[in-house]
Amino acid sequence: MIIQGLAFLLFSGILSISALLVITARNPVHSVLWLVLAFFNSAGLFVLLGAEFIAFLMVIVYVGAVAVLFLFVVMMLEVDFVSLRQGAMQYVPVGLIVGGVLFAELVFMYGGLEIEAVNQAVTEVQNSQSIGLVLYTDYIFPFQVAGLILFVAMIGAIVLTHRTRPGVRRQNIAEQHNRKPEEAMEIRKVTTGTGA
Amino acid sequence: MIDFNLVPLMPEIFLAITAMGLLIVGAFQGNCTLRVISWFGVGALCLALFMLTRIDWHLGAVLNNMFELDTFSAIVKVFIIIGLVASLALSVRYLFDENIVRFEFPILILLAGVGMLLMVSATHFLSLYVALELQSLSLYVLAAFRRTGLRSSEAGVKYFTLGALSSGMLLFGISLIYGAVGGLAFDDVAMVAAAGDVSPLLIVGMVFVISALAFKVSAAPFHMWTPDVYQGAPSAVTAFFAIVPKLAAMALLIKLLMGPFYAMALQWGQVLYALALLSTVVGAFAALVQDNVKRLMAYSSIGNMGYAMIGLVAASPAGVSATLLYLVLYMFMTAGAFAIILSMRRGDLQVLNISDFAGLSQTRPFLAYGFAIILFSMSGIPPMAGFFGKLVVFEAAMEAELYVLGTIGVVSSVIAAFYYLRLIKVMFFDPPEDAINDDTPFARYVVLGVSLAMVTFFIFKPAGLMDLMDSAAQSLFIS
Amino acid sequence: MEFLAVFTPLLAFVVAFFFGKALGHKGAQVVTCAGILLAAFAAINLFFDVALGGNARVVELAPWVISGDFAVHWSLRVDTLSVIMINVITIVSACVHIYSLGYMSHDGARGRFMSYLSLFTFAMLMLVTADNLLQLFFGWEGVGLASYLLIGFWNHKHSANAAAQKAFVVNRVGDFGLALGMMAIFVVFGSIGFDEIFAQVADKADVTFDLFGMHVHAMTAIALLLFVGAIGKSAQLGLHTWLPDAMEGPTPVSALIHAATMVTAGVFLVARMSPLFEYAPAALMVVTVVGGLTAFVAATIGMTQFDIKRVIAYSTMSQLGYMFFALGVSAYGAAMFHLMTHAFFKALLFLGAGSVIHAMGDEQDMRKMGGIWKKIPYTYAFMWIGSLALAGIPPFAGYFSKDIVLEAAWADHTWFGNFAFALGIAAAFMTAFYTWRLLIMTFHGKPRATQKVMGHVHESPPVMLGPLAVLAIGALFAGAVFYQPFVGGSGHHGEEHGAAVEHAAEDSHVKETDVLHVSAEDELKKIGAEIEQEVKAVVSQDAAHTAHESDHGDNTHSDAHGTGHDAEHGADFWNSSIQVLAENDTVTAAHGAPLWVKKLPLVVGVLGIWLAYILYFKSPTIVPRLVEGMKPLHTFLFNKWYFDELYDALFVKNSIKAGKLFWRGDKNVIDRYGPDGVSAVSVAISKGMSKLQSGFIYHYAFVMMVAVIGGISWFVFKFVVEF
Repeated sequence: MIIQGLAFLLFSGILSISALLVITARNPVHSVLWLVLAFFNSAGLFVLLGAEFIAFLMVIVYVGAVAVLFLFVVMMLEVDFVSLRQGAMQYVPVGLIVGGVLFAELVFMYGGLEIEAVNQAVTEVQNSQSIGLVLYTDYIFPFQVAGLILFVAMIGAIVLTHRTRPGVRRQNIAEQHNRKPEEAMEIRKVTTGTGA
Repeated sequence: MIDFNLVPLMPEIFLAITAMGLLIVGAFQGNCTLRVISWFGVGALCLALFMLTRIDWHLGAVLNNMFELDTFSAIVKVFIIIGLVASLALSVRYLFDENIVRFEFPILILLAGVGMLLMVSATHFLSLYVALELQSLSLYVLAAFRRTGLRSSEAGVKYFTLGALSSGMLLFGISLIYGAVGGLAFDDVAMVAAAGDVSPLLIVGMVFVISALAFKVSAAPFHMWTPDVYQGAPSAVTAFFAIVPKLAAMALLIKLLMGPFYAMALQWGQVLYALALLSTVVGAFAALVQDNVKRLMAYSSIGNMGYAMIGLVAASPAGVSATLLYLVLYMFMTAGAFAIILSMRRGDLQVLNISDFAGLSQTRPFLAYGFAIILFSMSGIPPMAGFFGKLVVFEAAMEAELYVLGTIGVVSSVIAAFYYLRLIKVMFFDPPEDAINDDTPFARYVVLGVSLAMVTFFIFKPAGLMDLMDSAAQSLFIS
Repeated sequence: MEFLAVFTPLLAFVVAFFFGKALGHKGAQVVTCAGILLAAFAAINLFFDVALGGNARVVELAPWVISGDFAVHWSLRVDTLSVIMINVITIVSACVHIYSLGYMSHDGARGRFMSYLSLFTFAMLMLVTADNLLQLFFGWEGVGLASYLLIGFWNHKHSANAAAQKAFVVNRVGDFGLALGMMAIFVVFGSIGFDEIFAQVADKADVTFDLFGMHVHAMTAIALLLFVGAIGKSAQLGLHTWLPDAMEGPTPVSALIHAATMVTAGVFLVARMSPLFEYAPAALMVVTVVGGLTAFVAATIGMTQFDIKRVIAYSTMSQLGYMFFALGVSAYGAAMFHLMTHAFFKALLFLGAGSVIHAMGDEQDMRKMGGIWKKIPYTYAFMWIGSLALAGIPPFAGYFSKDIVLEAAWADHTWFGNFAFALGIAAAFMTAFYTWRLLIMTFHGKPRATQKVMGHVHESPPVMLGPLAVLAIGALFAGAVFYQPFVGGSGHHGEEHGAAVEHAAEDSHVKETDVLHVSAEDELKKIGAEIEQEVKAVVSQDAAHTAHESDHGDNTHSDAHGTGHDAEHGADFWNSSIQVLAENDTVTAAHGAPLWVKKLPLVVGVLGIWLAYILYFKSPTIVPRLVEGMKPLHTFLFNKWYFDELYDALFVKNSIKAGKLFWRGDKNVIDRYGPDGVSAVSVAISKGMSKLQSGFIYHYAFVMMVAVIGGISWFVFKFVVEF
């Protein structure tokens, strides 16, 4: 149908342009913002495909978490992008050629493609529900392993970045509870008028 | 309903839970628990090995056709676990010497191990991907473990970035395969591939997937991260990199090539031919001018992976068996080599230049002679085990009439022999430098001893290992 | 028992050489001497067991090379021939070992010297006990090595090093022939084990093979090739130039190696291969001619030399010539007999000369000696004994062996046999002459040495005189005692023998007792045909029981034995260790030679002694004028017939030129394009690759992408092409 066709053209067009602008923009903050736009548009594409759950994920996770993280990093770290990007122009011709070759081949490959689905498409159940149906049953194994990956990521983050600052006072509740009067207090007889 | 039999996964589950438990211990008790956790980890690995041998290896695929413990993967897992034990054993003292005492180290190794074990048993592209990622992520963190050092951070960043690129390629390839097949299980792919005209999309997807795995295996031209990462990472981590992940990734590659992609053997044979050829040549030539022994070992591993892949090009059970044998022997040799490299310390610092080995035969004769034997084995000189590895691989190549590849492989092997022999020459014929430290821990001697035993005594009963590898290979082809 | 005989010297060598530092000189000497003495005792035991008792055997030790059709084992062949050699080797070696304790007592490396002596002994023993040609070759090369080590023992002396090298290289030429012969044997016989070869020889007698289009008689070719090896090792004419130079080594070495043992290896080889040589009459002719010529040429040179050791060396060469022409006329037993007696008296002469040199303060030039016989009486006496034996004066050992050799040559009745006989007679004359020239110049006349030297002249210590005594006993009695078994005859002819030469009552070994008693009784009777049966009966009563004695000690007097009985006694003695075809049996025929043949050697010997007496003792002034008058001839002889100069011009200079040429070629062509070239290219490639490894992540990523795209393009290309 026409609307879907037009919508596809719109989304993919803006996606491609903003992706291009991500790498060519001079201001890094602009780059991230163009990236956010690209994400939004790909979410739109997913909606067109009928995968609205993934579209939501794209927006919430990619835009809400990842792109925001990028922005924070870009703004907080004073990276001299100008000097880093120097000399990048000389690689453009080669890059274009290589990319062009890849593009041509992929087009060639995709042309004349007929997909035969081995598994039947499921239409009765909604998108999110269908994911839920299989996530903890058929795909429990990758799910658990993905959990382990997150686990490792967490460990990695702590290992690589966590610093224990000296002199930071922390509370140890158990220690506090177990404190005995003999350790905490000292009773002294004081004569009035003088100090302790 | 799916086949929810968790028994084949017992070793991996056990290791994962152990890792989590040890993490809690470490989190509460601090870094002084490093030793305890490391040896506990070794114990857990041994227990997992024991479990592995007790499980039935013919249960078939479980968990919705995502995981299978067959003979091939079980045998590979045995050696992966052995390699993990060696790596852990080698690392403990190193961390103390280098003042990077963090208890997360053995845990990361354990989790990487879990990833490798899962990877080898994968029967679905999805499980392949997640297991691969689990392993890779642990390795990225380990590479940057010495976070205060510039080199280590550089290694981590390089490995991570390029690894992410390769993961991207992998996913892209998987998606193309899904496009061509409509499903992601290995069996489905194999069925479609065998059913007749192979669609070009499938082939392109396969190329992407193989490229990603070639990156993991550091086959040329996807090898460029290896020298920098090996040199930059802390030496115990380098030892781990060299010993175990290569075996796991190669096993995965074998499984892929002989499983879902088997019908396209003609095509991937050409790809592998090019990879093997380039790897042996690069591994041989590029190392000739190297000074740093860790970088040398990196190039050596590139070359060795090239030789291993020669066996695969043949696409026959004999070839697979040859490759497996080569990899296992290589694993033992590398463990021994790194045991010695880790011992090269003077005072507080590591000394890793080739010139630092000068005169080692007079200051630390046991290490020197042990290293000499291992180096001879790596150059493929009989009667050491390395010769047999090369022998079976080239035999398989000749049987499959891959004469050019075999010849170039042999010539590269000869050129590569130079830098192994140069180390020996430096150790034995150059005047000695100041002596290196004399406090090699017992664990390191054990690893070195086992490695030397394998290298020297393999000749007396080669049939033992070779038959094992044969049965592993056969099981791939029967199913 | 054979293990003891053969392997104790090896053990002694290993201990003395590798643990020499720990043991010290004393320890090394003790170990080696103990080892060789043990071996000598074992050898004597073996003689009674095998040679007299007839227990020839082959003891297999271990497999050596098994490759397809070629199977060779380490084994010890213990038969009469090898047992005789074992005895000669161990006994003389034992004497030399003990002698060296005294002679080398001032040398700083005497421990190493003793170990080398043991090494040599072992190698020689391996050679003679070999059951196949490969093991023989092993021993052959081993003695060559030991000879090299011992000639060049004083390796600070340039001349010694040169001599050692010359010995080794010249020997190598001979070894080449031997190796070719071995290979030819394998081709023709399919095996190099002696038993297999000898079993097939008769069948293969007429085999020929084609070489460069010529039909070559196989047996002759093989025999000639083997003989080439013998020429080298035994310093026969052609490859003899190393022997005089080998005198650079210490005197015990000359005694052991260049008189008694190593140089006799060639004789042994031909004797061992007698079954084969018997079927190659052309080769035998060559052997005879070469042997005769050698005997003659060496004697001519020996007459002119002034170095005391060189004179003896040339006499060795000459006597070896005798042995060879004996072999050439199929008188193998006679050759071995002469080998054995020669070993004793030649070793005696050398060691005696060593004693003289020791007394004269390391002086070897006879022109600087003289007038010392009163001062070193024992040495003088021993030298006389050795000289008498050498000149062939009865009843000394040399008389018996030399005589039978010359008789056999005559009895062959061929042109070359007669040729050898004539040359041998001439050589006998000259031998006697120069031997007494040596004696007189060295011991008599006015002292020509300095006062200082004369003051120091002293007799050698007992440790050096003892072995001399032992060897003297051998030189005295070995001939008479062993005449019967060695050359008694082959039993084919029941001839009457000529007048028995009476031998004075002397010692004989008890093993002869049975036969001796019989022979003593029969001595008065002329031997008739019944002797065959009698002696047969006697011999078949096992003569194996013996009272053993050591070679040093007591000799029981028993009666003399008669001259050769024609019984199988001789044949039984040799068993099948040597083989003679019936028509070739010159030894037996020799016994029937006319009287003038038997007496001529003695006559010329006496003539030679008389001439030497005249020229050197009575009228010493004649000699210089004689030399002047015969200047060209004398110069020719003095310069050893210019062989060295000839070889130098022909071979040595050209070899060096060729070597230089190849060296330049090797360096500029092969090395440049080979190892050096490849390594330079490799390094260049490597440096190039290092540049590729830039360190920039984006380069790496780029390479990866390009690789992937390349792969895809490859398949797209193929896909397109298919359409």
